[in-house]
Amino acid sequence: MTNNIIQVQGVSKIFGGLTAVNNVNLDVAEGSIYSIIGPNGAGKTTLFNCISGFYVPDHGMVLFQGLVLNGRSTDTVASLGLSRTYQNIRLFSNLTAIENVLVGQQPRLSETWVDSILHTPRSRKEEKTSLMEGFKWLDFVGLSEFANSIAGDLPYGAQRKLEIARALGSKPSLLLLDEPTAGMNPQETLEMTALIRSLRDKFNITIILIEHDMHVVMGISDYISVLDFGNKIAEGKPEEIQNNERVIEAYLGPGGAALAQKYRRKKAA
Amino acid sequence: MNDPSSLPLTPKGKNNLQTNTNTAVKKIQTFQNSKFMKLLRPILGVVVSLYIVFRLYQVLVVQHEYGADTWTRLLISGLIIGGVYALIAIGYTLVYGILFMINFAHGEVMMFGAYAGLFAFWGFKLINIPGDPPTNFLNAYPIIAIILAFLIGMTVAASLGYFLEKIAYRPLRKAPRLVPLISAIGASIFLQNAAMLLFSPQLRDVTNPDILRRGAGWTIVINGSNVILPYTGVFTFVLSILLLVGLYILVRKSKLGRAMRATALDKKTAALMGVDVDSTISRTFIISGALAGAAGVMWGIHNGLVYYFVGFIPGIKAFTAAVLGGIGNIPGAMVGGLILGIVESMGPAALGIDFQLKDVLSFLILIFVLTFRPSGLLGEVLSEEKV
Amino acid sequence: MKTLIRQSIRTGVTFGIVQIFFILIAFNSMIGIMLAKISGIKNPGEIPAPKFLIAYTLLMGLWVGIAALRKKSELSAGQKILAGFSASLTSAVLVGLLEVVMTIILVNKVFVRDFLTVLSFDFIKATLFGMTPATGILVTIGCILLGSLAAVGLNILFNLHAVQEHWKKDMAFLKSLGEKFQYIVRGKYHLLWQIVGISILAVAVILIPMKWGSYWNYVFGTVGLYVILGLGLNIVVGLSGQLVLGYIAFFAIGAYTMALLNAPEPHNLMWGFWPALLLGVILAALSGLLLGLPIMRLRGDYLAIVTLGFGEIIRILLKSDVLTNFTGGPRGIQNIQGPNLFGRPFNSEVDFVYLIIAGVILASFVYNRLQQSRTGRAWLAIREDETVARASGVDTIKYKLLALAIGAAFAGLAGGIYASRNQFTGPDEHALMASINVLSLIIVGGMGNIPGTILGAFTLKGLPEILREFANFRLLAFGALLVFMMIARPEGLIPSHRPKYNEPKEASTNLKDKEVPHDK
Repeated sequence: MTNNIIQVQGVSKIFGGLTAVNNVNLDVAEGSIYSIIGPNGAGKTTLFNCISGFYVPDHGMVLFQGLVLNGRSTDTVASLGLSRTYQNIRLFSNLTAIENVLVGQQPRLSETWVDSILHTPRSRKEEKTSLMEGFKWLDFVGLSEFANSIAGDLPYGAQRKLEIARALGSKPSLLLLDEPTAGMNPQETLEMTALIRSLRDKFNITIILIEHDMHVVMGISDYISVLDFGNKIAEGKPEEIQNNERVIEAYLGPGGAALAQKYRRKKAA
Repeated sequence: MNDPSSLPLTPKGKNNLQTNTNTAVKKIQTFQNSKFMKLLRPILGVVVSLYIVFRLYQVLVVQHEYGADTWTRLLISGLIIGGVYALIAIGYTLVYGILFMINFAHGEVMMFGAYAGLFAFWGFKLINIPGDPPTNFLNAYPIIAIILAFLIGMTVAASLGYFLEKIAYRPLRKAPRLVPLISAIGASIFLQNAAMLLFSPQLRDVTNPDILRRGAGWTIVINGSNVILPYTGVFTFVLSILLLVGLYILVRKSKLGRAMRATALDKKTAALMGVDVDSTISRTFIISGALAGAAGVMWGIHNGLVYYFVGFIPGIKAFTAAVLGGIGNIPGAMVGGLILGIVESMGPAALGIDFQLKDVLSFLILIFVLTFRPSGLLGEVLSEEKV
Repeated sequence: MKTLIRQSIRTGVTFGIVQIFFILIAFNSMIGIMLAKISGIKNPGEIPAPKFLIAYTLLMGLWVGIAALRKKSELSAGQKILAGFSASLTSAVLVGLLEVVMTIILVNKVFVRDFLTVLSFDFIKATLFGMTPATGILVTIGCILLGSLAAVGLNILFNLHAVQEHWKKDMAFLKSLGEKFQYIVRGKYHLLWQIVGISILAVAVILIPMKWGSYWNYVFGTVGLYVILGLGLNIVVGLSGQLVLGYIAFFAIGAYTMALLNAPEPHNLMWGFWPALLLGVILAALSGLLLGLPIMRLRGDYLAIVTLGFGEIIRILLKSDVLTNFTGGPRGIQNIQGPNLFGRPFNSEVDFVYLIIAGVILASFVYNRLQQSRTGRAWLAIREDETVARASGVDTIKYKLLALAIGAAFAGLAGGIYASRNQFTGPDEHALMASINVLSLIIVGGMGNIPGTILGAFTLKGLPEILREFANFRLLAFGALLVFMMIARPEGLIPSHRPKYNEPKEASTNLKDKEVPHDK
């Protein structure tokens, strides 16, 4: 396997009396699509927050391309090549779609305020290139026609796509997607799945995914880790996870494995 | 056609890292800078604290300028004004906790309460009671007069608070936060000028009942000189504490208090649980107004001077106190008010600086506290924001 | 039917209270005097002749009628009359009650002026139109009813089908005219119209100050300074979303730098206008940075109060005796010398107006460039969602400090020019109100855009000057206007629109395509 682009080593995060993430280890191969699944409250988003710099882990380390990531501010993390989306969509609602994507490009821009005032050739060139790129990202996610629409006015599916386009603006090598298909109908889900796959296929962006939709997870992931109550209870390829009793019990409760067996037998019959 | 693979990105197989190294190195330097910045704050804090200790030492031990009697006097006046600030501060904090807006017009509510108290006393004075010697209602039945004055003041202020919310704030519930703030500012200006036009810009003297004569009080001898514990001051302070305790009990124990706390935490869910949000908010404003009204009447009794602008500065100070204690936090408002009063009163003397600069000191304390504890003294420490 | 009556009565009660309030602040008297002035009749003393007060009462009646029929155009004529009548009767009764009370005061010679200052006996007599109390009250009630009847009548008339048709036709015609005009202006001749428009504006701006007289030049200049202040505050509040309440402190820094470097006392340094102005701008920017450092972690309202604190600290320090040797203390600094342009001193208000206009143009230019750039977008992102902006790669600390520094610089510029123009500067009791004024003008005008700021400055600073007649009621109206604007039109008089971007062409060999074409 190619080298690991990100390694999460023994990361824990404790809030008062609650251990949200407990000694979790992840090794994500570069260029892979890696999913993190688990029942609600398992600590998945907290883990994302620890990786991306929103939280400082209480224990453990996060290594990104060999650099220590924990403790850095989120803008530093972004400029190192890690972008994310959010469980509850957090766009810049009063700005237009293209403006959202332009903001996403910030870590890669070098125009200073003096450049802005004086319209130096550098600023004009950069403005033009960033607009070009911005429009291309919008087109890639399928939102070209909405470029000048106010982000807050867009339909839900479009907003999710826009969040991804914004995250792509900084040309990340690693993209964290937090429940990208939440609230989508099957058609939108298919589109989103194809989009995610093409991000990896075309640009070699490594993707870490939090998802609840099992069709998506099983269909798209190269590797899966399962969290439950803050602990990683299983990891492996999709087929392995599907049949893992502990995982099934985490979702369906005790006795769930037997239930799933029964269901499968019935289905086969 | 827009072919994304023509984008200036590395095609499959290549490593992104090389192209990003320069930016990354720059950013790491920023990171180190921010580490420096993180150290800067504690260093600054230590330096300032040492300076303060040094000055205190100078004034208290070395130069020994002020005797215990002066300190006691300052402490007394500090506590008194602190109690008034605390009462007004609670009004701000109640409204902020529930609506997340600064009720800029709160000082004017206090001002109208002060006027109501003024007129009440005046009216009572005009009622003559024959006898030997002839007297008036105010002095014949002072306790009733005082109670009535407070009731009138608090009622006027409470209804003003109610209408203020109804007219100027309720239509703006869903607006971005600057909008109700400007509306509050507008209401404040309107009320100030309404008072000026109705009651004239003249400064008015408040006539207290004789038993609460301004300036009179118990005399304590400290350090060879007489320190007066003024009747009005004690009255004000005790009443403030009583009202504050009463409010605290209300918020903690009563149904309305629960409704207020629920609405403050999560309006939508409170509504779903059957709380009448509009009515709760109205009643919060009524209570907040009533407390401000009481503060206004006290102001009149103790300071003796009422005019249309009287609510402005105490309003700002009280808001400062609320923020100092942690806005949205009721005990915080009490603590903040008292601390502010004492700092204002004793601070300049303790640090050996000019009394003119007492407000500077108060604001500096505020900035100092908020720099190290952005949520205020008793405020909830906002945990890292949840995303 | 019943609901209609209940609604109308509620309107009537509200109106009655408003009427009572107006009388108690002598608003009726002032309107009466204004009416007298309009009709050219000299008025002895402060109390207008009865007929004007009667006219006032009729107008108030008209107003009640209009209010009662608001949003009720579908009612039948009879219902409208009922609505109008109920509302106005309720109002009239309330006012009548007030007048009864006033009569009692009058008859018993009760001295209430200690409580409500307007209630002098002369005033009461005037409000009763100089007639006997009973007649006076009846006339009042009658006038209110009559006025509202007129309003109802006009409303019914206006709502007649024929009238509505005509009105619609007129409106449609005007609208089509407007559209044609827009097409011409925005279309092919876009550039031509811009040139024409700007030329007209330039000529006006150059010529008018010479004809106006120094009072209006002073007012116009003040408006201009407020525009500069507004733009600066727009950068801080409007673009980067930091609610700063002590903004005027930076203005003071600019003013004091100019003063201290150009006046005989206290230091007798005569550095000249331009160096002092530049230094003032720089010092203001630095203090913006200094202010920013401790407040970086503060949220919205904490930020507001801390910045308010800073503003107050500076004001108190300037006012106190403590720093008198350095800053001139409470008396301020006088005899500040004026600017010199290529050897020619500035003698009159006109020169200063030109200077201020130049300042406005500079400020607008810088603001416009910043707004439409990467910097501006970073600020907007911070305003929208600071946490996510940070995670998207915006160095929030740097940009917030930048906004403060540049915004403060604008204020410093305005302050320096102000001190030089007024030849005096000193600590101002009302510094906080000035900060609030600037905030109000950008919000009322329309936050985040240049035309909005200009309009806001004119409305909130220029109008009061024009309406000097209303002296006492100016601030009252100002406060009410703020509340009204926030309820009716919170986005401001000129709302901000996001710019529209077009996808730029590929790297073109055509030299003309250098700029990215985007319309607004």
